[in-house]
Order: sequence, then C-alpha cells, then structure tokens
Amino acid sequence: MKWLNLITAPALTLLALAAHGTEPMTDARAIVEEAEQVAFYSGEDGRTEARMLITDSQDRRQVRQFSLLRRTREDGRTQDMMVFFSRPADVRNTVFRVIKRVGTEDDRWLYLPGLDLVKRISAGDKRTSFVGSHFYYEDVSGRNTQLDNYELLETTERTYRLKGTPKAPDTVEFDHYIVTIDRETMLPVGTDYINARGETYRQMEVLKVETIEGYPTVLHSVMRDLESGGQTEMQFRNVAYDLGLPESVFSERSLRNPPTEWLD
Amino acid sequence: MANRRHASLTHWATTHRKTVFWGLGLLTLAFTALLPLIQIDTDPENMLPADNPDRVFHNQVQERFNMHDTLVVGMVHPEGIYQPRLLADLHSVTRYAEQLEGVITPDVMSLASVDNITQGEQNTLRFEWMMRTPPESAEQAQRIRTQVENLPLLYDTLVSTDGKAASVYIPIEDKNQSYALSRQIQRHIDTLDSEAEWHLTGLPVAEDRFGHEMFVQMGISAPLAGLMIFLLLWVFFRNIPFILSPMIVALATVLITMGALIGAGFTVHIMSSMIAIFLMPIAVVDSVHILSEFADRYRRGASAKAVVTEVMSHLFKPMLLTSITSAVGFFSLMLTPIPPVQVFGFFVGLGILLAFAITIVVIPTYLTSLNPQTLDRMVERLPEEGKTKLAGALIALGRGARVRARLWLLGFATVFALSVWGITQIQINDNPVRWFKADHELRVADRTLNDHFAGTYDAYLVFDSDTAPAQQAGSVLEEVLASGKLSEEHQQWLAGQRQQLAGERSLSDLVLALDDRLFDAAGQDVRVLEAVLEDLEQIQSRGQTFLQPDILAYLGRLETHLVDSGLVGKSNSLADVVKTVNRELRSGDAKDFQLPNSANGVSQTLLQYQSSHRPQDLWHFVTPDYRSSLIWLQLTSGDNQHMSAVVEAVERYVQSHPLPEELTLQWAGKSYLNVVWQSEMVEGMATSLLSAFVIVLVMMVLLFRSLWFGLISMLPLTLTITAIYGLIGWIGKDYDMPIAVLSALTLGLSIDFAIHFVERARATVRETGNWSETLDVMFREPARAIARNAVVIAVGFTPLLLAPLVPYITVGAFLASIMALSALVTLILLPVVMTLLRRPLFGLREANATPTSSAQQNRSTTL
Repeated sequence: MKWLNLITAPALTLLALAAHGTEPMTDARAIVEEAEQVAFYSGEDGRTEARMLITDSQDRRQVRQFSLLRRTREDGRTQDMMVFFSRPADVRNTVFRVIKRVGTEDDRWLYLPGLDLVKRISAGDKRTSFVGSHFYYEDVSGRNTQLDNYELLETTERTYRLKGTPKAPDTVEFDHYIVTIDRETMLPVGTDYINARGETYRQMEVLKVETIEGYPTVLHSVMRDLESGGQTEMQFRNVAYDLGLPESVFSERSLRNPPTEWLD
Repeated sequence: MANRRHASLTHWATTHRKTVFWGLGLLTLAFTALLPLIQIDTDPENMLPADNPDRVFHNQVQERFNMHDTLVVGMVHPEGIYQPRLLADLHSVTRYAEQLEGVITPDVMSLASVDNITQGEQNTLRFEWMMRTPPESAEQAQRIRTQVENLPLLYDTLVSTDGKAASVYIPIEDKNQSYALSRQIQRHIDTLDSEAEWHLTGLPVAEDRFGHEMFVQMGISAPLAGLMIFLLLWVFFRNIPFILSPMIVALATVLITMGALIGAGFTVHIMSSMIAIFLMPIAVVDSVHILSEFADRYRRGASAKAVVTEVMSHLFKPMLLTSITSAVGFFSLMLTPIPPVQVFGFFVGLGILLAFAITIVVIPTYLTSLNPQTLDRMVERLPEEGKTKLAGALIALGRGARVRARLWLLGFATVFALSVWGITQIQINDNPVRWFKADHELRVADRTLNDHFAGTYDAYLVFDSDTAPAQQAGSVLEEVLASGKLSEEHQQWLAGQRQQLAGERSLSDLVLALDDRLFDAAGQDVRVLEAVLEDLEQIQSRGQTFLQPDILAYLGRLETHLVDSGLVGKSNSLADVVKTVNRELRSGDAKDFQLPNSANGVSQTLLQYQSSHRPQDLWHFVTPDYRSSLIWLQLTSGDNQHMSAVVEAVERYVQSHPLPEELTLQWAGKSYLNVVWQSEMVEGMATSLLSAFVIVLVMMVLLFRSLWFGLISMLPLTLTITAIYGLIGWIGKDYDMPIAVLSALTLGLSIDFAIHFVERARATVRETGNWSETLDVMFREPARAIARNAVVIAVGFTPLLLAPLVPYITVGAFLASIMALSALVTLILLPVVMTLLRRPLFGLREANATPTSSAQQNRSTTL
C-alpha cells in the first residue's frame, strides 16, 4: 500500500495548491455574485428531484418530495422554474410555476388538483415558508444579492466568510447574516442568520456537495430553526444539467399536464 | 395514669428551665433557618395532583399543540384603534416584546406579527404581513381593519368587533419570568406616551401578582394577628412579662411548623400561606387556659411551682382532648384530593399538637421562672372578673336560655330547616382571577378585555383519532411477504421493514424507504413493490383523519352550535383555517367560505396555509400526523359554572349528534382544570367533613362515656356549620375553595366549646345535684372561659380582613363569625337541650336541690 501513498500524497498536495494557491478574491460583492451564479445559475437548464424532511422540536416529521425543472433565459438573470410535487400522496400533482425576475416581484402560479384550480399568487415578500419547511421561498429560488450590502470578514485557506446586511431592514426578519463560501467550488456552504439580539436563530448548512457534469452541486443541506428546535433536511438526487428543456415545458399548460418525459 | 405522667413532666420542666428554654430556642432557630428555602407556588394547576389524569392530559395537549403560558397586552381606545398613531404604538409594543429574552418570538400574535391572506389584483392570492410597518395614513389604517375583519381566526381575538381594542399575545418560555417580562413591557408602554389605555394580563401575570400578594399577606397579616392577640391578652391580664409566654409559644409554633413545611420540600401555596395566621390564635388558646387559672389561684406569696403543678393537673386532659379534636378537624382535610389543602391540613394539625406540647412544657417553666414580684403585681391589677360587662351579659344569656327552652328549640329547628334549604341553593363556583379584589388592576384588565373581545379564557376540546395506519400497513406487508412474489433479496428487505414498522418507525418513513428502494429494484419486484407503495400511501392518506372533509364538517357544526348557544365567545379550529384559505384560493367571497370536497383538497389548501410567514400556526390546531386536533374555545369568564355549562352543552350535542366513529373527545385548558379540581374538592370536602364528624363524635362518646352526651356535644357545631353554609346559600355567595375548607376546620375548633360546657355541666351537676343551680354556675366562670376563647380566636383572625386577596378575607370573615356564632350556639343550645333532657341525661328532677358549697365551685377548673 505504501507505493500508493507515495504517488497520491504529492498529487493531492498539487491539487490542493491548484485549488487554494490561487490569489484569494478581496471584493465582497464579486464573491457573492460568483457564488450566486454557482448556486443558482449552473448550466442553461437543469433538473433535480428533491426531498424535504421537515422535523419539529418534538421529532415529528413531514415529507415533501418534488421534481424541479429550471431554465435560465437569454438575459442570464430571469429564470423559469417548475416544481412538481409527488409526496405526500395527498398533494401529488400539485405544481408551482415560477418566473423568477431579478429586481421585481416574481410571477408565481399554482395548480391544486384537489381543488381543480389554477391560481396566480402574489406575495408581499419572499421570506415565507416554502411549503411548510424551514426553508424560505427565497432560500429555494435564491435571494437577490442586490438586496444586501456585503462585507468580507475573513478569508481562510478554504473559505470566505461574509457579512450580509439588508439595505431595507424592514422587509426582513434578520438583522444580518454570515455566509460561508467555499473557495474551491464558490458554493455557499453555510449561513447563520442573526437577529437584533445578536443571536443566531436560523442556520443553513450544506452537508454534501458533488460535482455533477462539471457543476459543483449541493446534494444535501439542512436549515435549522434554532429558536424552535425544528429543522428541514433537503436532499437532491437525479441531478442533471443542460438537458435542452424546451420553453414549452415552462408554460401554464404544464400545470395540469406535467411534462412527464422530462421528469424521470 | 396520664395525670401522674404529666405531673412528672411538669416537675422535670420546672427543674430544668435552662434545658427547656435553650432546647426550644435552638429548635426554633434550626427550623427558622429553613425558611429562606421558601418556594412560592401560585399555579392553580397544582390544585390537582401531578398524576391527575385530566391534568396529565392537559399537559400533553399543551405540548402536542405547542402551547405556552401567555401574557396578554390589551390596547383600548374609545374612538377606535384604527388610527395610525395607535397602530404605531401597537407595532412598537409587539416589536419590543418580540426581541425580549424569554419570549417565544415566532408565536407572538398581534396585528404587527400575523399574516394577511387576501385577494390581490387580477384575482391573485396574496400573502403578506398584516402590518409589517405601521400605517402612515388613516386610509391605510382602515384598510387594515377591513382586512383583519375578514379573517375569522384573528377577528375578535386580535382586534375587537367594536374596533376599540387590540391585543398582543406574548407566549413565554418560563412563567417564572412573567413578572420581569411584564415589567419590561409595561415600562416600554410607558415610554410611548400613548393615547390609548393599556392593560397587561394573562394567567402568568396573575399568578405572579398572586405570589407577591401572598408574601404581603404573610408579612403583614400574620404579625398583625400576633399583635391583636397580644393586645387582647393585655386586656385580660394587664401584665406584659406574664403574657409574653403565650406569644413565645405562638411564635415558636409558627416558625417551627413553617420551617418544617418548607424544609420538607413543600411549596407554599395560597392555603399554606395561611398556616401562620391559623396557628397563631389556636396556639395561644391552651396558654390562655393555664394563665387564667394560674391568675385565679395564685395569691401573693404562694409558690408559683405548686400553683402551676396544680393547674396543670386540672388542665392537662381537657387541653390534650381539645388539641386532638382540633387537630383531627385539620387532619381530615388530608382526605380531600387537593394537594395544597392536604398540606395545609397536615401542617396545621401538626402545629396544633406541637403548640400543645410546647405549651405544657414551656408555660409552667416560664411561670416558675418569673420574678415573684411580677406575679404579685399581676394578681393585684387583675380586673375583677365577675363584674365585667361580659359577665353580666352571659348571666342574662343564661337566664334567657333557661326560661323558654321549647321556644328556643323551635327557633333552632327553624334556623336548621331554613339553613338546610339554603344549602340546597349553594352555587359551587370559583375563578382564580376573582381571588383578586374587584378594583385590582388585573380584575380591571380582565373585565375590560372580556368586554371587548370574544373572551380571554381558553378551553380546548381535543379530538383524537383511533385509526391505526401503521397496523394496517403491517398487514399489507404480511400479505406480500406471504405471497412469495418477491425475489429473495427484496423478500428479506421487506421483512426487515416490517419489523421496523412494529417499532418506532412511522408509516411515512416506510413509504420513503420503499420509494428509495424502487430505484434499485428491477423486473417483477418493481411491480410488486409499486403496488405495495400505492396501498401504503392510500392507508397513509386515509389515516390522516383531520384531512377528511366530513370530519372537519362535524367540528364546524359543533362550533356553530356552541357559538349559537351564547356560552362561547368564539371558537377556532382547523375547519376555520381550511375554510378561510379555501375562500381566498377561490374568489375571496363569503360564498366560498367552505370546506373542499376531498381530503386531497384539504391537504393542498393547508399546503398553501403553510406557505406563509407562520407555518407553525397550523400545529396549534392539528398534529403533523393529522390524527389529533382541537377546537379552541374563547370564554368571557373563567367561572367554573360557565365552563361546566359549556361542557354540558358539548355533551348534549354529542348525544344528539354522535361523534364520527373513529373519534374520541376530551377537554383540556386551565378553565376546564378549574372545573375538575372544584368538583373534586366539593366531593373531597364532604368526605373530610363527614369523617371528621364521625371521628370527633366517637371521641366525644368515649370521653363522656355516654352516647347521649356525645351526640349532644355535636349539636352546637352541627347547627353552626349548617347555619353558616345555609347563609352562604341564602345570600348567594359562591361556594369556592376558601369556603369549602372552612367546614372541616370549624368542626375541629368549635367542638372545644361543647367539650368544656358538657364536661363542666356534668361535674357541676355531680356537685350540686340541681339543674337550676348548675345553670347558674355554668353561666358564670365556665361561660366566661368559653366566651374568652371565642374572642381570642375570632379576633386573631380579623387581620385577614385587611389582606389583599379575597380568599383570605373570606376565611377571616367567616372564621371570626363562625367562632362567635359557635360560642353563642353552644351557650344557648346546650343548656336548652340539657334542660329538656335533664331527666334521661342526669336523672334529675327540678325539685331535688342539694346545698352546694361555693368554695367547691371556685376551685373547679376554668376549662
């Protein structure tokens, strides 16, 4: 086995040097904008299956399982998204359709098969719970980096730590947040939300990252509600990028007629 | 036998003075040292034992539905609260409360913290904060009104129907912090310089104030009782060193008893906070007997030790007996199922016996250690007993009692009959908030808020489903395993799953595991497992009882019935949540305020409700497995009677409209718990009163060695208790906890009078052989002793009238009047009955007079 170590050890060192030896970035905004791209704009389009395990402080669980299709429009900012629910069984075939617009309100539609109803939704803000989980709608769709001011707190060998402070404090429940971005992948791997009392009351942590088709991808993360003691774990599988999803998939028609060929 | 034993005790005590004083001093000091460990308990829940099934269930419900003790802030303005400045104040108070340490921030409820679900432009469904920032114009403020009045869960809870009041509900982690938190909030309100009127209330605040008032009571009323007794003794004996001894007994008794209670780890509850004031007068009574007789017998130059020994030989037995009967009265309280009452009864009983023990050791020792000159001065200044106004009044009373015996008897019978009728009219009712005086700020807040809102008293009607989805799923798996359709690998895997399902694992986890497994399965297995998955999901869906529209419809109908009955201010349930969201999903119009027609529809509606800023609100109404749900009822009063009426209304409804098959129903909530302990107390008090009655009767029969005298001696207290409770029924005073407790202890205290009277009457008859002459004797010195004791105890309790809390006042007023009445009844009823029954009782006829020596009379005891 020794010969293996002899070869791999220098190789790993080289790799590490390649990754971390690069000059660290110093502009906080540049860092978060790059991280935003990696986290929410990888590939021209993408698909994933997600499962949320929502646990409350008494260890009572709820499940949400859904497929998510995403496609970035030509402007490189606006995105179409479709969310198709499969579990629990009683919400199966519920569908969200979202046009995420940067800088203005998103367009959102909803199809509820149990009520045979398509409804347009408008929300005052994006910091509402995503289907009862501890993740907010904004955590899933991506918080616009223009909404906050950033300050680079610390650069370590592996990570950047930044402090985000809201430009409009009245619109959010946090005082500020500290985000940790992996220097190698440029993915945000942890966020602590801090309230006016200076306590961390909400915490996101990435538990597993894999590079899929060349894109660093979060496969497992958790959002903890430190006040109530509950948390939501989110796991992804069947991730694929650059599928060539046609525009027609992201239409009102797909609400009642899911494009099954793109979902498996 | 007993006499010899106590004689040697007296001898030992008077010859070992130092040991006695040091012993008592050290003992008192040791127990006093335990006092700082005091733990105040003001939780009305503790009226029930910790393992009481209703209480256990209540606590489970609290946990299951994430409910906490809650402070309530009310803002009231006569011109309406929908004004920008006022809403800004409300907003400010909400934000301030939310950031306080110890507040459960996500659960704070106010206009400034809840969500609005409404129709946006182009028929869109809109979620937004109701009032994230205060409105800037009158129009915006009015818009908030329109919106909140459209949301049934908030209307009449967070804002009043008349638009003049708004509330902030502030759940807190630990109710011991409620005082600090409410003070902080109050200070913040004060800085606002608000035009509105503000009220701060809620059960934790009430409990906290209550604890505070209890300390005030113990700190003021008990020492005041001591002072009253001291003054009274001074009136009797006019010599301070002489009357210090009863005060020493009282103080030592109270300190040791309270130290023992606290040291034994008991919390001081409203009942036990009264122990000091109960023990003080009772502890003094025995000493008063000794001092009286000592003063009677002591003559200048006599040997104090000889006099004391003689006095003790007369008094030991009657003092022992009266102490035991009083203690029995209090010990009988231990038969009630209410722990604070049990603790109270036990420790007062113990204190009485302790007071007796201290009295018989310490008083003789103290008297013999007094300077003879002090004793001489005391005897000289002593007022001539036979010439006081009291003495004259008693002799007149005696004459009256003698002449119209039959008329008196008729009178007593009438009073008894009327009292029995009065008792049947008694209204059993209690409400811990009413333990505060009517002008207390909490009572004012309570009245104001309940005038404006649907009610600040909560009760929960909890429904549980007895469906067993895990079991059904188990049998599905058994079937598949038995069919042998699966490959070896999957057969094994599924068997493993089957086992886990029997343990902790939920059906939902099994569904996920099966779903994951399907990724790796192939061929025939896929089809089989897919079929199993489908079956399991169906079982899972059906097992979610409170997603079924017909179940929710039942809850809705029951709610409507209760609100229509007028007993319930407002009710909130999962059905209301679903209907509201469904209405907004559809058109926002009232016609769509209804339930979806399928369980999937309900579930998808709730998925939208959960997509708000406050998804956790759902779990106050239903558990995440949808197998337990509740209706939250708001009542405008915390009276037991009110709550009982609601319970009955629900029972009647369920009888005529049977519950859906799989449901069971149970009550929770503090208002309901109050009903539970009230009814337990009424029953418990009946048992305790009856058993104390029987025990004391048996003791009397044994003491007098006569069934007749035993029965007769029970007459005065029977009439007194009946009359007092009859009076309560007549004047319509609610039978509450303090009233209930009075019965048993009245019995223990007022039997003393009868013991003294009967004992002395028999002794006198033996001496005189003449009934008329016996009565003359009886209304001199023995009647004075009885009257004096009644006065000591009654006056000793009067400082309770100054107490800040109503139960203390009730106890003080009733005990004082009971003592007075019971002494009076004893002095009239007993001579009347004995006069009528003198032949069977004494074998006497009026004529056979025997000469008596007055010297003999004077030597007889002052029992």
